[in-house]
Amino acid sequence: MTRITAGPPHSSRYAAADTPPDDAELAAKVRELIAGLSPDSADLLTAFHRIQHEYGYVPREAIPVLAGQFGTTPAMLYGALDFYSEICTAPPSGTTVEWCSGPACLLKGSTNIRRVLESVLGCAMNENTPDGAFGLRLVQCDGTCHLAPLLRLEGKYLGPLSVSDAIKLARGLKGGPQREAGGDGEKPAGVPEGGEES
Amino acid sequence: MATYEDLKAKAEAAWAPFEEPQRPLIKVGVTTCSRVAGALETLAAVRAELAARGLEADVMVTGCWGLCYAEPLVEVRRPGRPGVLYGNLTADKVAGLIEGTLGAEGAAPELALAVLADASLDGVPPLRSLEFFAGQERRLMANCGVIDPEEIDHYIAHGGYEGLAKALAMTDEQVIAEVLESGLWGRGGAAFPTGRKWDFLRTAPVTPKYMICNADEGDPGSFVNRNLMESDPHLVIEGMVIGGYATGASYGYIYIREEYPLPVERMERAVEQARERGLLGSNVLGTGFAFDLEVVRGAGSYVCGEETGLIASIEGSRGMPRIRPPFPAQAGVFGKPSNVNNVESYANAPLIMRNGAAWYASVGSEKHKGTKMFSLSGQVRRVGILEAPLGTPMSDVVVGAGGGSPEGRALKAVQPGGPLSGIVPASDVGIALEPEPFRERGMFMGSGGLVVIDDSNCVLDLAIYFEWFAEDESCGRCTTCFAGTRRLLEILRRIASGRGRNSDPEIMRLLADTMRYANCVHGQAAPTAVMSMFRFFEEELNEHLQNKRCPAKVCRELVRYEVVHHSDRLPQAEAICPTAAVVRENGHYRIDQGKCIKCDACREQAPYAIAVVDAFGP
Repeated sequence: MTRITAGPPHSSRYAAADTPPDDAELAAKVRELIAGLSPDSADLLTAFHRIQHEYGYVPREAIPVLAGQFGTTPAMLYGALDFYSEICTAPPSGTTVEWCSGPACLLKGSTNIRRVLESVLGCAMNENTPDGAFGLRLVQCDGTCHLAPLLRLEGKYLGPLSVSDAIKLARGLKGGPQREAGGDGEKPAGVPEGGEES
Repeated sequence: MATYEDLKAKAEAAWAPFEEPQRPLIKVGVTTCSRVAGALETLAAVRAELAARGLEADVMVTGCWGLCYAEPLVEVRRPGRPGVLYGNLTADKVAGLIEGTLGAEGAAPELALAVLADASLDGVPPLRSLEFFAGQERRLMANCGVIDPEEIDHYIAHGGYEGLAKALAMTDEQVIAEVLESGLWGRGGAAFPTGRKWDFLRTAPVTPKYMICNADEGDPGSFVNRNLMESDPHLVIEGMVIGGYATGASYGYIYIREEYPLPVERMERAVEQARERGLLGSNVLGTGFAFDLEVVRGAGSYVCGEETGLIASIEGSRGMPRIRPPFPAQAGVFGKPSNVNNVESYANAPLIMRNGAAWYASVGSEKHKGTKMFSLSGQVRRVGILEAPLGTPMSDVVVGAGGGSPEGRALKAVQPGGPLSGIVPASDVGIALEPEPFRERGMFMGSGGLVVIDDSNCVLDLAIYFEWFAEDESCGRCTTCFAGTRRLLEILRRIASGRGRNSDPEIMRLLADTMRYANCVHGQAAPTAVMSMFRFFEEELNEHLQNKRCPAKVCRELVRYEVVHHSDRLPQAEAICPTAAVVRENGHYRIDQGKCIKCDACREQAPYAIAVVDAFGP
């Protein structure tokens, strides 16, 4: 069974509804990051960006601190945070491959590239591998369409890519041996199971 | 407090060495599109090469000419000679460039793209003669690629803030009258007259009032605002200050999308510089008019490009659009009267105030005056950004400037202005770039993106993409939109998988009809591409629906890969296959259909041996 989905699953959520652990150090750091920001001057997005810049995501322990500063409830604040796809609620993976979902890339074969990345890396779009080593992230078009179809890896833009390029890239990231032409006995990269969206 | 004349004199002195350089000047364009092509490496290589050779030369960073297809772009100017542009100048070509231009004192014609003069030089053609430039009228983009976007003096020396100085000497009503007379309408897609919108805010009885710049250029395939903000940021700021003066607003927000880090950086820097020069603050140019603004960075939400969604996002809540009225001019950000305009709308205001409404209206079509920026991408030879008078035939831009579809393929359609705008078939590619021809076809011209589609692409696949995008970005407030887009998507995917039903088109029409009652334009316009498909590509849709066949062989469940010939390249195909679906048995190759994910990699490796065939039918 293959798991090629045309749309991303929902962004990751915080785990079950238990109270966030009391992390005084993190709370102090967050307080320092958002000092001086106020709800009356369009600062909430700035607060999210500063925290994400520091931690790579917005830790759930930061929510009560943010809510206090912005004079709202944690639920309301989480509602705002959850609305934005660029604000992460889980730590990023070790290596994140960003796949452009834009129309220029689509017309030039990005769907095929997505299929092979999901297959070789072993995770679906907007998910991480179970060990957290790799992640795939869907990103929106930023108008660098002369490189379509493109991927972004650690801030670098790679494109225009053929499907074969993408396979080699993903295999290289995985660190597995590159299968040579006509090579025997090499085990193929497995297709992950389940998760098919109908 | 410095007057405009003081600022202008100081700026001209600062620009003088670049106007008539006394020693060689090398300009490297550094913007989002050139950075990804290696402009920063080119810049470093230029500096290193000059140092290594001990050459006396100035190096300057500029914005972007819009020639994405030729990035990185470098201009070399020697004293007393016109500048020459060099395209695709990656770092490895820098040594050759310096040798050819400064060492040998030539024009290095083998690397050159064009000369910035009216006549050719050493066999290098003038810029105007390039097909990409032929039909262009560069007004908004006049400074793009010419000045350093991080130097306010460069902007002022090119007439910057002159429009503001003129406006400040007029009454607010006179400024609005001038903008109205120019015929400028909103460039974000809705095409509402800017002067009238400003007048709503001017007559609002409540203060404070806000000016908001919508730089959440979320339409995939549109990148004209990005180019303007990173190549000439002060043009946008000046437009907002003029708008603030005309409407009585005292504060402004520039809401820039998360995906645009460089525009954020450059706009923030430009705001600081404008403040230092007294062009923003409590006493703009010594006139007592108070206006300041700040940059707000978005966080990845398409509907925040809808004005009420954008306002909600600035206020720090979920960026969900709401029902209008009240319109922003009545109750906008923080409940106060506000005006929301697109980047390009604001950028036109300084030009109108500087040169007058009559000058502004001197280009364009009968009904629509001025110019519009367009970005070209997709299946087109020359990807880039250009500016043309409104009413220009779309074919002049797509085929003339863009060069049409790649070698050996035929133009199939053009998708204007974003996922909600529809799909124009190739037979209509000659329509004028102004709102009416699009409206007549049930579409929108949108904000300036032109994505070119050729015969290797499937229209149904494209419609699925647009509907997926609309569904994914729906804010979830009204059922009409979030359920309507989801239902449309389900049906489209069903058809693409070969399980379409004869009743499907009727259901989709009914859905589209219902979605016209969605709260905001996102839901209302979400079925546009599907409707375009019904209207112009019915045959292709019916092939999927009736015959379970994808004519372009794109829809994955309607095709399969087969080994049709023997070839030496089949071992490579076997090696590249990510799922080991290319199987070798007794020296023969076949595709294991149970494993194949239809990624096309094997066919890339062995195009003669492996073919895509219809999964159903003969």
